[in-house]
Amino acid sequence: MIAPCAAWDTAMKTERVELHPAYILHHHPYRNSSRLLEVFSRDYGRFGMIARGVSSKRSRLQGRLQPFRPLLLSWHSRGELATMRTAEPDGAPPVLSGAALMSGFYLNELLLRLTGRHVPYPRLFRNYHRTLNRLGERRAGQDALRLFECHLLQELGYGMTLDHEVEHGRPIQPEAHYCYHIERGPVELATGEPANGVQLAGSSLLALASGQFPDQQSRKDALRLMRTVLAFYLGSKPLRSRELFRSLKGVNRGTTL
Amino acid sequence: MAVTPLLSRLVDGLRCLPGVGPKSAQRMAYHLLERDRESARRLAAILALAADKIGHCKSCRTLSETDICPLCASGSRDRTQLCVVEMPADVEAIEQSGSYRGLYFVLMGHLSPLDGVGPEDIGLDQLKERCRAEEVREVILATNPTVEGEATAHYISEQVKDHGIRVTRIAHGVPLGGELEYVDGDTLSHAFSGRREW
Ligand SMILES: [Zn+2]
Repeated sequence: MIAPCAAWDTAMKTERVELHPAYILHHHPYRNSSRLLEVFSRDYGRFGMIARGVSSKRSRLQGRLQPFRPLLLSWHSRGELATMRTAEPDGAPPVLSGAALMSGFYLNELLLRLTGRHVPYPRLFRNYHRTLNRLGERRAGQDALRLFECHLLQELGYGMTLDHEVEHGRPIQPEAHYCYHIERGPVELATGEPANGVQLAGSSLLALASGQFPDQQSRKDALRLMRTVLAFYLGSKPLRSRELFRSLKGVNRGTTL
Repeated sequence: MAVTPLLSRLVDGLRCLPGVGPKSAQRMAYHLLERDRESARRLAAILALAADKIGHCKSCRTLSETDICPLCASGSRDRTQLCVVEMPADVEAIEQSGSYRGLYFVLMGHLSPLDGVGPEDIGLDQLKERCRAEEVREVILATNPTVEGEATAHYISEQVKDHGIRVTRIAHGVPLGGELEYVDGDTLSHAFSGRREW
């Protein structure tokens, strides 16, 4: 058994990473002028990083170390918490304001709640980057959120079945009706049969699978389905960003978390 | 010199100040005790008094030992303008610039969607009430240009707009007297996204 020794070795080994693509998911003030960052990086996943001295008035990094900005971070780490050395911008940040900004917080909260620390998710990282840019372009923000949610579940190993029903493996028919069972998939709905799951039209399942939503009904169905499925994995603790979003009346202009 | 229990409590106490680590706390403690006991006594007295007497202005929420702070009570301010800031220090900064004659509302923080800091924690009901009951015609959003500051500004503007009140946001960007090539990219991109008709 060499495992404990190997684990000890990894934990104590100093790791140096140069200019690696990353985003800040969340941040808190730390001690006098430092910040504690929760970083989501392309190849090293999510982890905590301390950025020393960046909250002082003289630091140029203060404005740069914000969520939703693509960054190239350099850090060294020994054990759990990494120490930031440099931060460079990595391309233009998406211009997020209003509902798009709220949606950004929602994405970050999903990542914080559902991804494991130190687990690399390079595909999810790229998808997050794309989703932020779509939100910034203010087109179809709601659709972008649904696709991100789907992709997130897939990357976590909870991928959803959307193109065939799970009883006989038959392709989803747009005009048929289905009941989606969590951790199983869609089952064709026989008339009159009581169903405990999310009921929706085949066309809505196909819309979510393809990312092309032809109408408002398919958007509504996709929202209802994803909300139920996510709630299953999130547990009883509600998403704070969604609660805040909901408490803001009159903001429902094309985006729904 | 051996550190006695009282001395070590004093050092610990001083460390609650921002920017004060163990070394500087120790230096401060020695300074107060060895060179300036009279100041130490005055400081202790005024700290106790301030901690007891200073509360928040009932109108703008800034730090004040009177129910209504002098600024809110002043007859010479423009009562149709209300500037929303995050902290009392922001009021000081704007006042020192001498460029604003209206009233303030101090949030004592900002919305933090991921930490569960919501509208009720930053007094937004009180802000709405002021907009409804008083002669406010313009709300100037001067929250910080951070993502939380932007989210807070957005939230407030959505809440206040339907009262028929003009909502403006202070501009952020290139510092006066600065040369463009020395302005960092983040500030520049902010300045670009906030550009206006000329
Ligand atoms: Zn006041």
